[in-house]
Amino acid sequence: MTTDTTTTAPPDPAPSAPRSPRALAWQRRRRSVARFWRQYRTHRTGVVGLAALVLFALVALTAPLTIGSDVQSVTEAPGRPMEGPSGQFWFGTDQYGRDLLRLVLWGSRVSLTVGLLAAVLSVAIGALVGITAGHFRGWYATVIMRVTDWFLVMPTLVLAIALATVMSRSLSTIILAIGVTTWPTTARLVRAQTLAVESRPYIERARALGGGHAHIMSRHVLPNVMPLVLAQTTLGISNAILSEATLAFLGLGDPTITSWGGLLQDAREAGAVSSGHWWYLVPPGLAIAAVALAFTLCGRAVESVLNPKLGVAR
Amino acid sequence: MDRQDQHGRRSPGRPSDDRHPFGRAPAGAAAGAARPGGVRGRFRLVAAAGAAALTLTAGLATPLNPAPQQAAAADSGKKTLTVAVAQSVDSLSPFLAVRLVSTSINRLMYEYLTDYDPKDAHPVPGLATGWKPSADKLTWTYTIRKNAKWSDGRPVTADDAAWTYTKMMTDQGAATANGSYVSNFKQVTAPSPTKLVITLKKPQSTMEAIDVPIVPRHIWEKVKDFTKFNNDQTFPIVGDGPFVVTDYKADSYVKLKANKTFWRGAPKFDELVFKYYKDNDAAVAALQKGEVSFVQNLTPTQATKLRTTPDIKVNDAPGRRFYALATNPGARAKDGTKFGNGDPSLLDERVRHALFLAIDRKTLIDKVFQGHAVDGEGYIPPRFSTYYWKPSADQAMGYDPAKAAALLDQAGYKKNSAGKRVGKNGKPLNYRILCHATDPQDKAVGKYLKEWYGRLGIGLTVDCLDNVTDPWLAGEYDLAFDGWSVNPDPDFVLSIHTCAALPATPKDTGATDNFICDKKYDDLYAKQLAEYDPAKRADLVKQMESRLYDTGYMNVMAYPNAMEAYRSDQIKSITTMPEKSGNIYGQDGYWSWWSAVPANATGSSGGSGSTGVVIGVVVAVVVLAGAGGFFLLRRRSTADDRE
Repeated sequence: MTTDTTTTAPPDPAPSAPRSPRALAWQRRRRSVARFWRQYRTHRTGVVGLAALVLFALVALTAPLTIGSDVQSVTEAPGRPMEGPSGQFWFGTDQYGRDLLRLVLWGSRVSLTVGLLAAVLSVAIGALVGITAGHFRGWYATVIMRVTDWFLVMPTLVLAIALATVMSRSLSTIILAIGVTTWPTTARLVRAQTLAVESRPYIERARALGGGHAHIMSRHVLPNVMPLVLAQTTLGISNAILSEATLAFLGLGDPTITSWGGLLQDAREAGAVSSGHWWYLVPPGLAIAAVALAFTLCGRAVESVLNPKLGVAR
Repeated sequence: MDRQDQHGRRSPGRPSDDRHPFGRAPAGAAAGAARPGGVRGRFRLVAAAGAAALTLTAGLATPLNPAPQQAAAADSGKKTLTVAVAQSVDSLSPFLAVRLVSTSINRLMYEYLTDYDPKDAHPVPGLATGWKPSADKLTWTYTIRKNAKWSDGRPVTADDAAWTYTKMMTDQGAATANGSYVSNFKQVTAPSPTKLVITLKKPQSTMEAIDVPIVPRHIWEKVKDFTKFNNDQTFPIVGDGPFVVTDYKADSYVKLKANKTFWRGAPKFDELVFKYYKDNDAAVAALQKGEVSFVQNLTPTQATKLRTTPDIKVNDAPGRRFYALATNPGARAKDGTKFGNGDPSLLDERVRHALFLAIDRKTLIDKVFQGHAVDGEGYIPPRFSTYYWKPSADQAMGYDPAKAAALLDQAGYKKNSAGKRVGKNGKPLNYRILCHATDPQDKAVGKYLKEWYGRLGIGLTVDCLDNVTDPWLAGEYDLAFDGWSVNPDPDFVLSIHTCAALPATPKDTGATDNFICDKKYDDLYAKQLAEYDPAKRADLVKQMESRLYDTGYMNVMAYPNAMEAYRSDQIKSITTMPEKSGNIYGQDGYWSWWSAVPANATGSSGGSGSTGVVIGVVVAVVVLAGAGGFFLLRRRSTADDRE
């Protein structure tokens, strides 16, 4: 990772050959990535999570080829409504006669997209707020951190529901609703880290050499809080996926889009719960659990590799 | 005024109310996991896994809940009939209430002049024991019964009826809900306590079926503003119907007790409770456990399951409701002001017809209703055979996408290179359709329409809202899912499409359903209202339906069945209306709840959810074991790091 590791990095293997600073920087980065991967590999659960994620990503990315978008079509549904599991339909059919297995696989696209984008949005807002608040201090920090506190004590789900209700029903609404309600924790963490980084002497040196606010924040603070941000993103994704499923389950998602939460909502509306059609409910539920778990496992592993406080040497 | 909801459109509501147990479980689960910061990661892992498990088991939460209760076997041997409802009461005031649940409760609270016979819906004596028109049929004399009493002991007199009607004629606020019945009244007098005389301006064919609740004058005289008074201040509410409302909590319950002095005879149940279940599946689970005695608006899946459940009887009868696709005819007020933003292309009749021709109603009935509905054609459902009308062969618009495409071409909306229909102004055709977010049927039909219209080159945005009333009243829609319950006398559902029903100004609320104002239709409406000969009137009504069909403003897609179920171990017998294959909930009268006979045995119910319990437990165990395994694994691998 792009941390200030130049001092601790092993000596250049070929000091005789003069290299450009760019090449040196790239070499350094390559090396830290390799080191990161070596340490990540020691976390068995992290590897399991990563393998599961790769599998899910493959399914989601290849879905247009293997499944085809016509799986969502109600007018060309292959089966009768609400069939049980059979050789033709492994998970049975939904109330439109669509194949549930293919719908669950197709639903991974929405869940993963929303999870990733919402988490990135949330962490981006959090990092921006955290770094500026930690850098500028004074009244600006006071105001912005009170705003953060306000968001922190607001029940996330309630706020997200309110947002999703007033805006039009679409995927971007859901992403926005999750993104703008989950950033405060990131902001707090990043601010704390920023304060720690900014108290180091080299920041003072940079300032004395004429480094402006933007230079210090982007060139010195950001690289140093990046590990934290990365870990936070990975962990945030699983929360975002769960939130998306919750919102869709509560009927706030876009009804024309197939997602796992939406499938659970459809199942409930069709009366699958009281009728005991478990094959309609269990697959999307398990899928949500599996993906959320995989992201959490990865996030945990990334965190313990990157966070010195967890006792892992860098 | 929640017009499209008026007679039960919203009753199949399944909103995302978090009061509901299914709504809460995953919500709590996500909230539990959505607080990552500050908590140590290890704990977070377990929390996430637990949350996932909760999400999973949430779907199976109902059968997991033990402790079934018996609603019928309430304390001190009181026989209670509990009815699960989903629709909110708009008002308990009979002058304001328009929704099905509220008008049904008003029926139970206040007696009308006449009732409909449960067998064949002909008018039978209610508060009036007899009625007689004058030779010119402009003066109607009603004899009011002597043996009717208000629940506070005072006698019901003709004066109460005269006061009620006069109030509606003189106070605009009191005419909000049922104004169409009295707009033609010249004068209403009560020469004696048993004699009511109504004089008309013009002949009116609905004089034997004035669906207006008669309220006690001595109570309602004190009301100042009828538009604000919701009749929910003092309990019990004084009435003269078979039941008396004793308690009401918005979106929670309405409690009624039997009126022992009801002139037709006291109801058999001591208490009647309308209990709110915003989620239909929760209501069905409550029925399976015996917490409620009656559930309506079942999905086909629920009905199939309940049919095989012991002690539960499913009633699947032809409904009195139509389910239609309404097109915005350009919303306007009586003063001529146009408002709203309906797509101008819908002003072309060919476009409206094309939209209807593209709908394969057979598929909708086969898939969405799974056979529990009748193919829609005319405005009035076939159950009302007197007024049922079918389009002739050359008039009928069946599923014909090719003809629809040809009509659109003719109207000037040709397909461009991208396959989109484009108007002369170069804009592609894109419609919004208003759909009730609480109604799964709307969503399902919306999915089909989107695909059918997509093939035609028309874009469709399905706008599913919790509150469809606001955009609807503002005319801010292109298409909308619409539906009304029809009374044996169709006057009301016909009146809502006349020019007279338009709002006075854009700011006002009119009785209109879809801003339709058609001269030909209005002429026919006036004629049928003045026609006393039943056969001739029926013919005029059919002509109106034909006209309405041709305009393409209201395209009836189906007549959904009434799908209801009750516990036969709590209700021994109950009257359906019509008696042969009729509905129970939302009748044109109080027959069902008044006639319901309690069953003596309160047999145990259970076992129905046992498979659910097994599955739920197995899934929960598997997921928790998995999570625990990971947790242990983690502990082991990080054992060295832990301090």
